[in-house]
Amino acid sequence: MQKKAGVGFYFFLIIFVFVIMFPFLWILLSSVKPLSELFGPEAFNWFTSNPTIQSYISVFTIRPFHLYLWNSLVVSTITTVYTVFVAAFAAYAIARLRFRGKSIILGVVLSVSMFPQIATISPIYIFLRNLGLTNSYLGLIIPYTTFALPLSIWLLVTFFRKIPFDLEESAKMDGASMMQTYFKIILPLAVPGIFTTAILVFIAAWNEFLFALTINTAESHKTVPVGIGMFQGQYTIPWGEISAATVVVTVPLVIMVLIFQRRIVSGLTSGAVKE
Amino acid sequence: MAKKKGLSDSLKRERKLGYILIAPSLLLILAIAIWPVIQSFYFSMFDYRLNDPTKSSIHMDYSLDLERYLNNQPFLLTALDNEIEVAPPEVSEELEDIKQNIENYDEELLQKDGIEERYNEVNEILFNYEVPSSELKFVEIDGSFGEEFEETFGQVESRLVELESQDALENARRLTGLASGLNDSIIEPNFIGFEHYSNNLTDSRLWKSLGNTMVFTVVSVGFELVLGMGIALLINKAFFGRGIVRASILIPWAIPTAVSALMWKYLYDGQNGIIAKFFADIGIIDSMSVLLTTPVGAMASVILTDVWKTTPYMALLLLAGLQTIPSSLYEAASIDGANKWKQFITITLPLIKSSILVALLFRTLDAFRVFDLIFVLTGGGPANSTEVISLLAYKVMFTQTNFGEGSALAVIVFICVAIISTIYIKFLGSDLLGDGVKK
Repeated sequence: MQKKAGVGFYFFLIIFVFVIMFPFLWILLSSVKPLSELFGPEAFNWFTSNPTIQSYISVFTIRPFHLYLWNSLVVSTITTVYTVFVAAFAAYAIARLRFRGKSIILGVVLSVSMFPQIATISPIYIFLRNLGLTNSYLGLIIPYTTFALPLSIWLLVTFFRKIPFDLEESAKMDGASMMQTYFKIILPLAVPGIFTTAILVFIAAWNEFLFALTINTAESHKTVPVGIGMFQGQYTIPWGEISAATVVVTVPLVIMVLIFQRRIVSGLTSGAVKE
Repeated sequence: MAKKKGLSDSLKRERKLGYILIAPSLLLILAIAIWPVIQSFYFSMFDYRLNDPTKSSIHMDYSLDLERYLNNQPFLLTALDNEIEVAPPEVSEELEDIKQNIENYDEELLQKDGIEERYNEVNEILFNYEVPSSELKFVEIDGSFGEEFEETFGQVESRLVELESQDALENARRLTGLASGLNDSIIEPNFIGFEHYSNNLTDSRLWKSLGNTMVFTVVSVGFELVLGMGIALLINKAFFGRGIVRASILIPWAIPTAVSALMWKYLYDGQNGIIAKFFADIGIIDSMSVLLTTPVGAMASVILTDVWKTTPYMALLLLAGLQTIPSSLYEAASIDGANKWKQFITITLPLIKSSILVALLFRTLDAFRVFDLIFVLTGGGPANSTEVISLLAYKVMFTQTNFGEGSALAVIVFICVAIISTIYIKFLGSDLLGDGVKK
């Protein structure tokens, strides 16, 4: 199958990339159009002759978009740091230590990651409402554990398993305790895996919609996906602002994906491929 | 012997450490994921509505609203006394009997554990024209006593209404009014068992939403698998610009579904949508508005968006599977004269079977749980033609604030997901958990 690529192949590739990227391209072009050119016959022109950044300005002035960004950043970062921290210990134990019930535990972790969010939302909502945690950061961080923790454990277990066992054995021979082995030998080697896990958990938390929609309903505590999703009014849809906001959230993600693509791919495929 | 003992000691320590290390994760999963699912099931057996004060919590027992009781009962007794004085003898005898019943019940009530204290407290608060807190005013009473309440005061009211209809009372309005107020002070248990399930399973809206979910899942995952496989096979070679292709594959996957749904809503728009115009121009659809305003168009739009967003991801998973196949296998096969198709069937497919199944499992479950894509893109419309089961559960819970019924729907989603995973895991076997230690 390892063949040299021909002209036809590159032609296909260009079409493929174009189809995938077209919506972004169109949104980018729309975001700099004046509002009047978003409707009517001019709506289908590729380029505008009067580019403007009016939509970008109104996203940050008329709408509290900077608040949405901040909220998403805070919630996703804290969720990522705390779940990866907790999961790192569990994953180490599952991957490296000998004790009974391991595969049952891993099975539980995997099944929990398949739980539909809608099945947990009513008790979680009532619980958070009774504690007065709706419209707070903690109100999202707690429910985000439901998907972030199983995901972290699952990914970290596969990364921890890849670290050679000989290293541990020789550390043990040298008289290192098990926690010493963990912190001095395993953890440094697992850093790339932990980092990859963190990226994937962060993206999952950043993109979460249902909990954010139901638990944080106040403008001041909305996250980016819900904030943008709720841009649409009852009768009109502000396409200019939506395009600008989409560009604002997509550009950092595109940069992140470009930098970390190898890691992300290895993380996404680690559970699915047997080596 | 000594060595063996030492080994088992270290094994014991290792085991202990293992349990300590997984404990925090397990506790969190238990508290935040498993317990809520159990509670959802529990909620689903109650008539539990947040917007109705008598149903805004779940209770198996009767409870008595002391505020309402004490705002009616003493006044009813006084009103009865006044009536007895002026009424003709046979009527006053009847009224005496009614009064006796009310007083008997009151006495019994005060003998119940812990009620008298709160009874007096509420009474005092009301006497000062203040409002008692809801923790104070609602007292739980057991089933038989609750039924007795309903019987006693139901009879009181009906007897007074009877007398009213005979025109035998001076102040009939006041008496029946107070009696009915008193009747309202009891709150029945809102436990209803499996009623939500039987209601929903006979409701066409549930079946329609389940059908929509199935159509969405099967069609979109089917397209994603075939297209993803095609793409994976094509790009499974060394070529210039791999990085760019890989990055562009990842971008649709990485951006929030809600954002991509909104983006596509713009492209599908009946007046200004470029994709709608493109489809209309090449003749796939009759007019631009077809996409979001007709049932079939809306479902197709939703599926197309999902295919756009996740085919690349599927291709990536399959590509990773393909890359584990040693090329020597293909070389040997082509020496034996096997053509490309034969190679695909006999080498590629069997070797990436588990990759395909894992990818299918995750994608099927994701598609079955779909919520944000449809919530933002169509809102379930037009005419509920794209309403999936998660969206229906959401609407019942948060738009109608009917948490009991919403939880029942959520449990139905959970059961469906459990069935789908069980079927896949049967095929996958223990492959999925893959205990790498054994290798």
